[in-house]
Amino acid sequence: MDTVTESIASAPLPTEKTLRRRTNLPYQVLRFLAINIKMIKIIARGHH
Amino acid sequence: MARVVILGAGISGHTAALHLRRKLPATHEVIVVSPNSQWNWIPSNIWVGVGKMTVKQVTFPLAPIYARKGIDFRQALATTLFPEGSGDDLSPAVEIRYTEPARSGETERVTYDYLINATGPKLNFAATPGLGPDGGNSLSVCTAQHAAHTAAELEKVVAKLQAGTPQTLVVGTGHGMCTCEGAAFEYTFNVEHELRTRGVRDLADVVYLSNEYELGDFGVGGMSFTQRGFTTSSKTWTESLFHERGVRAITRAHVQKVDPGVIHYEQLDGSEHELPFDFAMLLPPFRGADLAAFDREGNDITGEIFAPNGLMRVDADYAAKPFEQWQAQDWPKTYQSPTYANVFGVGIAFAPPHPISRPRTSAKGTVITPAPPRTGMPSGIMGRVAAETIADMITKGATAPTHTASMARMGAACIASAGTGLRTGSAAAMTMYPVVPDHEKYPTSAGRDETGTSGEIGLAGHWMKLLLHYLFIYKAKARPLWFLIPE
Ligand SMILES: Cc1cc2nc3c(=O)[nH]c(=O)nc-3n(C[C@H](O)[C@H](O)[C@H](O)COP(=O)(O)OP(=O)(O)OC[C@H]3O[C@@H](n4cnc5c(N)ncnc54)[C@H](O)[C@@H]3O)c2cc1C
Repeated sequence: MDTVTESIASAPLPTEKTLRRRTNLPYQVLRFLAINIKMIKIIARGHH
Repeated sequence: MARVVILGAGISGHTAALHLRRKLPATHEVIVVSPNSQWNWIPSNIWVGVGKMTVKQVTFPLAPIYARKGIDFRQALATTLFPEGSGDDLSPAVEIRYTEPARSGETERVTYDYLINATGPKLNFAATPGLGPDGGNSLSVCTAQHAAHTAAELEKVVAKLQAGTPQTLVVGTGHGMCTCEGAAFEYTFNVEHELRTRGVRDLADVVYLSNEYELGDFGVGGMSFTQRGFTTSSKTWTESLFHERGVRAITRAHVQKVDPGVIHYEQLDGSEHELPFDFAMLLPPFRGADLAAFDREGNDITGEIFAPNGLMRVDADYAAKPFEQWQAQDWPKTYQSPTYANVFGVGIAFAPPHPISRPRTSAKGTVITPAPPRTGMPSGIMGRVAAETIADMITKGATAPTHTASMARMGAACIASAGTGLRTGSAAAMTMYPVVPDHEKYPTSAGRDETGTSGEIGLAGHWMKLLLHYLFIYKAKARPLWFLIPE
């Protein structure tokens, strides 16, 4: 096996709980707001 | 009365045109020269490429918008600059060749007081023999039409899988010096998601083929994310997604040629390989629009204004230096040409001083290093900055640029789609600050601000990507209050 294949094979896998959270509507609505806030902050820093 | 000519109506040129028209009184002219009649929200081409959006959903005609705004639109290709005029005529000018069907092939010299070069990338499929959909053996999603063709080919692969024939699908970069790895990454996971949704994933081998040294490099040398009290590298984070979705990866690769059904590539260690495929979407490397330039006496000054790769030199530090000496200050701030103060180069059209990822050369001497990405947000911001400077020069008599935006002071928000669907979609939402690492300012965190650099995967990212699609098309159509939507 080459390096990248080995590296992928040993990379952490998300748990069932993490996978559920990634599609859980209420949680994702909160994350959507959080990502928006993060992006607005990034945008604010980039515009002078 | 002043005249501003903008070459290119992509993300940076169109943004510049709209801002200039808003800032300048109607007595001043704004002219846009661009070869395509349509505007394209390129990031959504990924969804066209998996049949989830149509060409119509990601494009719209420019002429009606420009007519409504009072912008003069010439559907043509810029070919030659005369920044000092020529002969007795001292007016700077650009020669254009019409692509508009009614005037196809006709040339014209358009004079200007200020010029913005926003011609973006030339898709350089010719750099790799057999690369690309036009006469080559691979597919592309770089234009909406390429993406629609690719979606039709993907459909054939799905049919074969449904008939029980195993298929190998390769997605990645078609040359050692490509950029836009993020787009290849997105398309890989959209294809994987599509195959899974269609119930044919089992017989499909999905392979990501990249010029990156490691997964998660994305042409920016990778990132570190802080999550739940731990710092994770984008390498581990990206590898985790490959592991979860069962996608194979080949990194450190330069594609030498694409034969029908076989990719030939070389890796950094000098080894050469063949990769058989049934479906291959490989991005081309980019170069500049290859504009020529002449001084007043007719001497060729192309090499003074443009770098050898056809991209325009601006206020960057182009002195060659080793990776260890690269600095945030090397990157341009005003996008003004050092030779002609009334000429600006923005978006992908400006020549970066050097890559962001560490440069590497194979044992055989082939450069295998991602070129620095210039994504949508920085491209839009540069367009706006050049427009604001020019407006100040015209209306306030400013003699030097009044607005700046360096990629070493700009963040990037990259939402990489990993599958569509309002309930089932997902995307990797990454933010980083700044795009170009500043090792002096952030010496302990690889040149980036830890609090501004983050990544997460989920449905919310998909909603975000969809929101951006509608928001940016709204803005590009210059609908009411468009200017409140940031670049
Ligand atoms: C498949 C794909 C997916 C992407 N996804 C994302 C993403 O998710 N997020 C993101 O931020 N970025 C993304 N990008 C990058 C983004 O598209 C670019 O950053 C952006 O388009 C650059 O803007 P630009 O104005 O420099 O070039 P472009 O938008 O390419 O515009 C260049 C314009 O110049 C015109 N032109 C070319 N030659 C001439 C000439 N000689 N004379 C006159 N006009 C000319 C072209 O027709 C075009 O109108 C993606 C890119 C690709 C290829």
